[in-house]
Amino acid sequence: MKFKKAVALGLSATMGLGMLAGCGSDGKTESTAAPTALQPSTVDTAEEVTLKVSLWDYSKTQYYKTMIDGFMKKYPNVKVEVTEFDADNYEDVVTTQLSGKSDLDVVFMKGLPGLSALIEQGHVLALDDLLAADETWDAKAYSGLVEATQVDGKTYCVPFRKDNNLIFYNKRIFDEAGVKYPEDGMTMEEYYELAKQVTSGEGSNKVYGHFTHTWSSNVYMYARRIKEFNQMDTSTYDALKPYYEVMVKMQDEGVAMDFGTAKASSAHYRDVFQHEQAAMIQIGTWQINNLLEEEKLTTEDKITFDWGVCALPNDKGEGNTTAVGGVTPVAVGAYGKNPQWAWKFVQYVCGEEGAKVLAATGIVPGYNSPAVLDIFDGFAKDYEHCPEGLSKYLDLEEYVVEQPMVKNGKAASKAFDDQHSAIMTGSVGIDEGIELLKSKVQEQLDVK
Amino acid sequence: MSEANATALQPKKKKNPSSGSYKRKKALVAYSFILPNFLGFLILTFVPIVFSVALSFCQWDSSNPIQFVGLENFVYMFTKDSSFTISLLNTLYYTVVTVPITLILSLLLAILMNCKIKGRVIFRSILFFPYVASLVAIAAVWMALFNPTMGPVNEILRAIGIANPPKWAASTTWAMPTIIGLTVWKGIGYYMVVYLAALQGVPGELYEAAKIDGANSVKRFFNVTWPTVTPTTFFVLMMLIVSTFKSYDIMFITTQGGPGEATKVLAYHIYNSAFVSYRYGYASALSVILLIIVIIVTLIQFRVEKRFTSYL
Repeated sequence: MKFKKAVALGLSATMGLGMLAGCGSDGKTESTAAPTALQPSTVDTAEEVTLKVSLWDYSKTQYYKTMIDGFMKKYPNVKVEVTEFDADNYEDVVTTQLSGKSDLDVVFMKGLPGLSALIEQGHVLALDDLLAADETWDAKAYSGLVEATQVDGKTYCVPFRKDNNLIFYNKRIFDEAGVKYPEDGMTMEEYYELAKQVTSGEGSNKVYGHFTHTWSSNVYMYARRIKEFNQMDTSTYDALKPYYEVMVKMQDEGVAMDFGTAKASSAHYRDVFQHEQAAMIQIGTWQINNLLEEEKLTTEDKITFDWGVCALPNDKGEGNTTAVGGVTPVAVGAYGKNPQWAWKFVQYVCGEEGAKVLAATGIVPGYNSPAVLDIFDGFAKDYEHCPEGLSKYLDLEEYVVEQPMVKNGKAASKAFDDQHSAIMTGSVGIDEGIELLKSKVQEQLDVK
Repeated sequence: MSEANATALQPKKKKNPSSGSYKRKKALVAYSFILPNFLGFLILTFVPIVFSVALSFCQWDSSNPIQFVGLENFVYMFTKDSSFTISLLNTLYYTVVTVPITLILSLLLAILMNCKIKGRVIFRSILFFPYVASLVAIAAVWMALFNPTMGPVNEILRAIGIANPPKWAASTTWAMPTIIGLTVWKGIGYYMVVYLAALQGVPGELYEAAKIDGANSVKRFFNVTWPTVTPTTFFVLMMLIVSTFKSYDIMFITTQGGPGEATKVLAYHIYNSAFVSYRYGYASALSVILLIIVIIVTLIQFRVEKRFTSYL
């Protein structure tokens, strides 16, 4: 018995000590493995290459296939192999794969917080040397987003897509109520009044003036656009007070669906707008693609109303001067075998050719050019319900990035979302809620 | 002649059961039977636990090298992490309410199902069904039932005159009770079956003797049923406490720890720290604390059980 006990204890002790010994050295050493930079060099177009690209919804999205086919036609020696991961857990899965040193050459990420985790963990390459050596590279075509997505002065991604958050409104509901359409430069009070006027009905016939989606961005986006607010800087949080007040007022008065109900029934802005249950929604420009698709449907879900867009209202009455939204970045994997060809691929999909494919579907590419803007203006001709002059809301000099990339950004963003739900469900007062937001987010940002 | 016969009839030399080599051979056979399970336990359970305990003294984001930081994680946990205190209190709240309610209800149901009522086999199956049904499906329906504006529960409450029914999962006060309700409803089936088995082991003569002595049904419950099933009660209590302490899937599916941090339990905080914030060292430290709490509670239970259990 004694012998067995000794063996058991010895086994545990050895494993434990072994684990500790395997840890890094004593004291704090440099934790981030600095990603290596991608050096410029010429590519050999005779060489047979297989590029591994990770994507979500590849099988559901036509434009990826169109772009990849276009790229493979241009460079016949390259074969692009797409690894598709489940959309809901995409970022976690890709991060885990790269932790296992997966040889993905090109990595698309859903947004900047996900990319920031990859950069912190050293999974993507810095592109600056390459950009400097490339004469065809024009950072200005990306509306300042290349600079805005740099970390420690280094570029780790190119914007594949960008989005501007706008108010989308249902013209028919406004016409029937005899109310004039929302326009650029409204204040929050004016917006609230307008929403109240187009709210009608009860129960299953209820039409909300405004629908606030359950994401916390549906409140802070207004303040973010005019740079009053930065989610990663808690000293700016007091600016949110008027916006929370309007949102809570709207839901208390039945002008907007209340948060608790929306969360419990998993209400989604797309369905709500499509089925005319809300007159106005605040959402990103990917909704353009949704609406164009919905017009071409052949089922009874087809939309039959004209829609319009305008810039986000705010408490300064600032008009369509800046854009605000997320960026879909694409980066080069640090452990891939073909970094030079990976860069060529990134250049293609994020350049003029890729941008035109994206724009044709109504998705806003990261790359801006007159050709791209023309495509957006052209939709009004081919789609009956689409408004004219969409390019006005895309051709803006400054795009404010929705969530800046900082260390602990993802944890901070999660803490923000937690307290946001407390405020929106009325569980905590707005002032108290904002104080909680500050303390909880700062706690996460302060973690070493 | 007789000697030759004697030698021929001598029995085969039997192995001496107390010899060392015989014992060792038997032992080897025994170990080989348990080896597959033991290997599985070692590789999939024991080694990860030891790794986790070691990781609790380190900092790691799953990509950069593991860094030894000593007790830093634990210091942070007890001094700077507000979510730790909140999640610990939430876990205690959840456990302290769920465990007694589940225990009592499952015992009462078992007593009921033990009676000779018509269709009790069907009832037993119906009551057991929630336990086997998919948690995701049940959670979706539960949330729909308790939807603050459109759910049937609140419609009924409004119809009987309660003007402002609770907002259930959309309120920091009522979110935890909603989840407790779901947990209880899902779990009583299983524990009812456990109690049923125990009840069927109670000798009928005890009840008859009690009846003859003039005991009514309440007195019979407290003096015959309850003492006889105390071993089962301790088993159920232990299972319930451990499972509620570890609970996280229900919160993840229904409220994601919200609204605010009202339903954030310790296991959810561990998940968050590890898989959302990539702080594996800190998450390991949290799970070590959870382990210590559960071990202490279980040890206390064993002590108490020795004193209060009566075995027939």
